[in-house]
Amino acid sequence: MKNIHNYVEEMFKDVPDSDQKDNIVNDIIQNLEEKVMDLMEQGKSEEDAINKAIVEFGDIEEIKKELKVNQPEKRSKARLHLDFSIWGSLLIIALSIFINFYYTPKTIWFVYPTFAVAWWPLALFYRWLSLK
Amino acid sequence: MISSDIIRGHLDSIILRLIYEKDRYGYEISKEIGLRTNDRFQIKEASLYAVFQRLEKREIIESYFGDVSHGGKRRYYRITSLGKAYFKEKMLEWQETKEIIDIFMEGLK
Repeated sequence: MKNIHNYVEEMFKDVPDSDQKDNIVNDIIQNLEEKVMDLMEQGKSEEDAINKAIVEFGDIEEIKKELKVNQPEKRSKARLHLDFSIWGSLLIIALSIFINFYYTPKTIWFVYPTFAVAWWPLALFYRWLSLK
Repeated sequence: MISSDIIRGHLDSIILRLIYEKDRYGYEISKEIGLRTNDRFQIKEASLYAVFQRLEKREIIESYFGDVSHGGKRRYYRITSLGKAYFKEKMLEWQETKEIIDIFMEGLK
């Protein structure tokens, strides 16, 4: 029965983890195992039964399509990451400004780290935009 | 075995009908479909679980854990009152559709 387990896990590999996914994976494994038992009772060998169950499973894309409607959730997560990156980069910039003017008020260098750090929220901003 | 788009368009109704009669679990439904159609139509597990997802999201069916089988607890599906109304609507719609298509599909020599 390990085959069935691995096969189903493998199929759902690229679906992001969620309770809904766990439920559906467990249900499908159980369904297929019952089918295999049934086929074996009808006289098939375990290997044949497992192969038949797997071949007859059908197109996984159908289920993935139903699971993918959770886009808004993904987007609010992206929003959270964006907020975090903005606050994080503001703190880093503020710190470099402070160090700059406190220790070396004659040379202004804080713009360099500022530009470097700005890529962080910028990248996450475009990620957030693309999920619209 | 037929797997035409016409049947695919009515998978929701086929499954709802079986759950309407009594609460059932996944494998029971696919077995029952094969049994009733004399294996002329068999539902693929992938389609079955896609339909469950869709109907549960629309609150047409709901699920709960029932008795224990080989692997673990079975998830049973039950039709909601919204689901019953929805299925009755679907039945009327199908009658209507069938009559209309029959006008064009029958009687030609």
